[in-house]
Amino acid sequence: MKYNQETRLPRPSVHGTGAGVPIPQEENVRALLAKGKTKPAVELAREIHKRCGWPETEVLLVDAYAARIRSLLKTGLKEEAKALFELVHKRYSSAAARLADVGVLVSASSGNLEELLRPLNDPAVLPEIRRAIACVVKGQVCDLSALAECRSLTADHPLRTAAAALLRAFAAVTAGPVEESALVLPEVSHRGPLASWKILVRAIAYFYQQDDAACERCLGIIDPDSAPARLIPALRTMLHTNSGQRLAPAAESLMALVCGSKVSLRRALQALDSAFQTRLQDKILPEIQRAVAACEVAYPQLLERLRQHISVRALDLDLPTRKVRAALGGASIKNAYFWRLYARSVESSDEPLELLICAQWEQFRRHAVAEGWFREKGSEAAALYLHMAEVLLEVPAEALERERSKFAARFSGFQDYYEDQPPVIREVQAKYKKSDLYFLSPSQLFERACAIDPHREAFERWLNWAKQESDGRVADQVAERWHRALPLHSQPLLYLMESAEKRGALNRATAFLAQAQKLDAVNPEVRRAALRLLVAQTGRHLQQRKPHLVEQDVAALEALPQAQLADRPAFLAALRWAGAVVRGDAELASRFFGQIGRVLGSSAAAILACENAGALGRLTRADFDRHVPQVSLDPRDSLVVATARVCALGDDLGAPFTIPTAWHARLWQELTNAHGELERWQLEMLGKAALRTNQKELAYAASGAGLEMGGDQEARFLLLRARALPEWEFERRDDCIVATVELGRRRGDMAIINEAIELRRGHRNAMSKFLDWLVSEDWQDFSMTTEQIHAVLQHEKHSRAFPRHAPLRVSFRETVFLDDQELEKDDAPCTLDDSNQLVPQMGQPREKRPKRIRRDLPGQGDLF
Amino acid sequence: MKTSRQPNIQLNEDPREILGVPPDAGDERIRNAYLQKVKEHPPDREPATFERIRDAYEVLRDPRRRALHMFLSADPRAPLVSLLPASSQERKFTGADPWLAVLREK
Repeated sequence: MKYNQETRLPRPSVHGTGAGVPIPQEENVRALLAKGKTKPAVELAREIHKRCGWPETEVLLVDAYAARIRSLLKTGLKEEAKALFELVHKRYSSAAARLADVGVLVSASSGNLEELLRPLNDPAVLPEIRRAIACVVKGQVCDLSALAECRSLTADHPLRTAAAALLRAFAAVTAGPVEESALVLPEVSHRGPLASWKILVRAIAYFYQQDDAACERCLGIIDPDSAPARLIPALRTMLHTNSGQRLAPAAESLMALVCGSKVSLRRALQALDSAFQTRLQDKILPEIQRAVAACEVAYPQLLERLRQHISVRALDLDLPTRKVRAALGGASIKNAYFWRLYARSVESSDEPLELLICAQWEQFRRHAVAEGWFREKGSEAAALYLHMAEVLLEVPAEALERERSKFAARFSGFQDYYEDQPPVIREVQAKYKKSDLYFLSPSQLFERACAIDPHREAFERWLNWAKQESDGRVADQVAERWHRALPLHSQPLLYLMESAEKRGALNRATAFLAQAQKLDAVNPEVRRAALRLLVAQTGRHLQQRKPHLVEQDVAALEALPQAQLADRPAFLAALRWAGAVVRGDAELASRFFGQIGRVLGSSAAAILACENAGALGRLTRADFDRHVPQVSLDPRDSLVVATARVCALGDDLGAPFTIPTAWHARLWQELTNAHGELERWQLEMLGKAALRTNQKELAYAASGAGLEMGGDQEARFLLLRARALPEWEFERRDDCIVATVELGRRRGDMAIINEAIELRRGHRNAMSKFLDWLVSEDWQDFSMTTEQIHAVLQHEKHSRAFPRHAPLRVSFRETVFLDDQELEKDDAPCTLDDSNQLVPQMGQPREKRPKRIRRDLPGQGDLF
Repeated sequence: MKTSRQPNIQLNEDPREILGVPPDAGDERIRNAYLQKVKEHPPDREPATFERIRDAYEVLRDPRRRALHMFLSADPRAPLVSLLPASSQERKFTGADPWLAVLREK
C-alpha cells in the first residue's frame, strides 16, 4: 500500500486543544491494526504524528507501536520487541501508561518469572498491569513449582499458595486414586488465572476413575487460551473421542505411558473401521496394513483374530482377494472362529443366501468339533442343525429342490479357502466327503437334531415342516419318531389320531386317542379330540346305515362332560335325528328336529344342523326332504346369525358345515343390508364357511359387511376379502394382503401377519411359473404407508359388487415384456367402480426394494 | 469416589472366559465355577462384576441357550475396536512429569 507523503494537513487554531478535532487518517491506522498489519500502521501513524505533533496523534502512534511489539513477540522476535519497547518508552511521554501491559509481555518473554510477577508486590500497581500479568500467568505459565516458589512474591501471596496446592493435587491425581476432598482446592479461585488448572486436575482424576463422561465435561469448560488447554487433545485421544488428530511427541509419549502401546492399535482399528465404511479399496487396503502392523507390535496375540475379521469384512465388500491377502501379510486361518464369523456375515446381509449359509455353518461345525468347541453328538451340534434347518425354511419349498440342484452343481466344497492353510486345518477339511450335502435338506437336519437332542420344540419344528410336505406320510413318520423318542408327549399321538381320522382309519385313530387319554386325560386338546373322533365315528356308522351303532356313539358322546357345553347338545340331537332318518322313524326324527330348534332358538339353524348332520352320514336329498318339516322362515329370523352359529358348532366338532346354495340370495341380501347389526364373529364364521365350499361371492359380501364395521378387526376382514377375490384380481388381492400385514404389524397381531404371508406365499407358489417376473419386485414387498392402507380400505369398503368378469387386459405372458408404466396404464381403466376416485391412489407403486444382487458361490476365487 | 458401572455381558463376550471354564466344561463344572466366582465377587461388594458373572452363568446353564449364544454371538459387523479386551482400557498412573511435559512442549 502506498501513502501520499505530500499531503499537507491543516493545523488547529489552538495548539494542544485538539479535543473533538478529528485526527486525519486515524481510521486508516485503526483499520490496519484491526487487520494485523502493524508495520504499515506504525508507518502511517508516524507520518501523521510528524505532520501534526498533537498529543492525540502521539497516543495513536504509541498504540500502533504497542501492537507492533505484541506482533513481534508473537512471532518470537523477543529481542526486537524488547528494543522497540525501550525505544518507545524513552521517546514518548504517554508511553509509560499505554505500554504498561506490553511491558509485562516483554518481561514475560524473557522467561523471568520473578521479573514478571514483581509488580504485583506494589499495592499501587496499575490495574492494566495487574490484568496483563494475570493474563500471562493464565496462558503461559506451565511450571507450577516455579510459580509456587517465586521469591518476588510474598510467601502467602494467593498466586503462590494456589500454585502450591495445584502442584500437590496434580502430583496426587497422576500418581494414584484420590479422594474427592483432594480435588476441592479452596486455595484456587474460580476467577483467578489458575482456575483452568483446577478443572484440569479434576479432569485427570475422572480420567483415571474411568468416568469418561465427567472427564469430557471438564475438558469442555477449560479455557482454550489457558496453558492447561494444551493437554486437551492428548486426553481426548486417550478417551477415544478424537482418533484422527496427530499429536506432538510429548503427547504421544504420555499416551504410550498411560495406555500402553494399545492406544495406537485402537486408533489404527478406528481408522480401519472408518475406511471400511467408505467401501473404497484405495482407502481400506493401506489401513489394513497399518492396523495389522500396529497389532503385531501392541497385541500380537490378537493378530489372527483381527485378520479373520478383516477377511470377512473384505469378503462382504467383494474386495480383490490377492490385494487383501497381501495387506494382511498372509491368509487368515480358516478355523471354526472364521467360519462362524463368515456364516453370520452372510446371514445378516441384506440378501442372505440360505444354501451358502448352511454350507458355511457346516464348515463351522466340522472345525468346531475338531477344535473341541463341542462334541459331534452334543446338544450344541443339535442346536446348530436346528438353526440350519430354520435357515433353509426361508427358501420357498418348491424352490428349494431347484436351488439345491444348482448349488450342488457349482459347490466346490470351499476348496480354495484351504490354500495356504496349516496342515491341522486342511486335515479337518480332508476328513469329510464333499458329496455329503445333507445340510441342504431340512428333513435330514431335523432328523439329526432330534436324534441327538430329542425335545418338544425340535420335534414341533420338524412336524410343522413335515405338515407342509405334499406327501402326508412324511408328517406321520415324524410324529411316530417323536412318539418313540418322547413317549410321554400326547402331541404326536393327537397328530397321528387326526391323520388316521382323515384317512378314514377310525379304529387306528381311536387307538391313538386311547393312548393320548392314558397319558393326559385332562388336556383340553385331548378332550376335544375325543369329541371330534366320536363325531367322525358316528358319521361313519350313519354312512354304513347302522343306527344301533349310531345310538351307541351318541350315548358315548353324551357321556363326555365336554359334550354338554355350549351348542354341542344340539349337534348330538342332530346326529340322533340322522339316526332316526336311517331307521325311517319319522316321529322320532320330528321330535329330535324340535329339540334342535329349541336349543338353537331358530328353525333355520335347526334345518342347517340337520342338513349337515345328514351330509356327514351321506343321507339322500329325499331322506332329508321327507324328515325335515316344511317350515317357512320367519322374516325377522336372521339367516346370517343362524348360519354363523351352526357353522361355529360344526367347526368346534370337527365337522365343518356347508351353507345350502338355496340360501345364498337371502344371505347376500342380509349381509349387504347389515349396517353393523351383525357381530364380527358371525361374519367371520360365515365367510370361512363360504370359502370352504368356494362360495366366494358370499365370502366377499361377509368381508364387505365386516370392513364396514371398521375397528380392530379390519385386518381380518381385509384378509377375508383377499381370499374371496377371484384369481384374476391378483393385484387387488396383493394390495389387500400387504395392507393386512401392515395393519397386523401396527397392532402387534402376529397371527394375522402369518396368515397373510402364508396366503401370499401360497398364491405366489401356485402361480410361480406364470409370474416369475414378480419375484424380485413388488411381490416381495410388505410395506405400505398409512395413506396407501387407507386407500385400500376405502376401495374395498366401497367395492360392494363382486367382480364377476375379468377385465380386458393384456395377458400375463404379454405383460412380462411390458415395463411397469405400461402395466399401470393397462390396468387403470379396468378397475372403475363407484369409488373410482380412489383408484389412482391404488395404482401408485409402493416403494421398491433394491434388486437382489446375486453373488458367486464360494470357492470361486474369494479367499484370504 | 465415583465408581462407574461395568456393562453386563455383551454378545461378543465369551461367558466361558468370564467364568473361567474351558470350552468342554460340563454343567457341573460350570456350576462350580459360578459358585466360586460369586464367592470371589459377592454382590454386596462388587455388584457390577457379580451381574456379569450371573449373566454369564445364565447363558451357560441351559445347553440350548449356551449353543445359540455360541453361534449368534459372533458379530462380523461390530467395530474392530471391540476385539480389544476390556483390560486394554487400563490406565496407568505415571506421575506428573509426562503430563507436564505435554504442557511445556511448544
